[in-house]
Amino acid sequence: MSAAACQSLQAQGFTLKAYMKNSKVVGPPSAGAFEERPAKPTAFRKFYERGDFPIALEHDTKGNRIAWKVEIEKLDYHHYLPLFFDGLCETVHPYEFFARQGVHDMLEHGGSKILPVIPQLIIPIKNALNTRNRLVICTTLKVLQHLVVSGEMVGEALVPYYRQILPILNIFKNSNRNSGDGIDYSQQKRENIGDLIQETLEAFERHGGEDAFINIKYMVPTYESCLLN
Amino acid sequence: TKTHLGFGDGPKPKSMVRAKRWSEEVENAFRFQTAGYRDEIEYKIIKKSEPERWTVEPGYVKKLQRRDGTYYYYNRARECQDKEVHKIKLYQY
Repeated sequence: MSAAACQSLQAQGFTLKAYMKNSKVVGPPSAGAFEERPAKPTAFRKFYERGDFPIALEHDTKGNRIAWKVEIEKLDYHHYLPLFFDGLCETVHPYEFFARQGVHDMLEHGGSKILPVIPQLIIPIKNALNTRNRLVICTTLKVLQHLVVSGEMVGEALVPYYRQILPILNIFKNSNRNSGDGIDYSQQKRENIGDLIQETLEAFERHGGEDAFINIKYMVPTYESCLLN
Repeated sequence: TKTHLGFGDGPKPKSMVRAKRWSEEVENAFRFQTAGYRDEIEYKIIKKSEPERWTVEPGYVKKLQRRDGTYYYYNRARECQDKEVHKIKLYQY
């Protein structure tokens, strides 16, 4: 017992120590809402290294295209689409490129094959959003926007899963950089998360049917409807 | 590796002009040349089939099979950027 101590003691809040005369309460530790949580190695990477994907690895392709060994229309979507969605967590080239481009191609040409696979896509989407990595979140939001327009009834099919994928959007919804009256080029390149979230939620509402708005509002209370009033 | 151009049995082009401005014709030429063909005529000779097109107007090429058997898929909307237009070759027969 150091009776002669005149410096203040550091104490956690709501403890008996905090009531002592000399104690100074320190604030709570940071909860880490914005801290990045890297995803564990994905199944996508494993399959890619094994060469299980029907993609030709080319080094002389002009820019941003995948050469498919098998026609997309003949692919088993139940097997491949969740795997590609799993790869959205990747941040390293070339995994990140192939996952993103593969998802884009499969959604573009899937038609009615996408709807039955939706339940299997939710966990990969949730994992990608939970990494809290800005680029991954931006990519995933763009993928979600593409998903709801990719096939009939896909938007409506997604509504029951809002409570699994929307909560993370609450955290980033207001992360718009306040640059005064300067120009924010990230908006042009569609990399501003706050704006992307707003766009995505509007796409959900447009294609989600009647119950979409109320479900979105439940998970993201600050969202305002783009269709009503 | 540059792909060989023009060893089909069909008509050989008389002249070639480089595109200056984007147009729908340039867009289609871009898609064929990315896949390694001169243009639609050469594709039809080598593959002996019509290229699959989008049903939405203006019906750009949707899917092409390359000479090595792999498939390239293209978007509904314009893909050829302005900075690549000058690389596109337009052949006249």
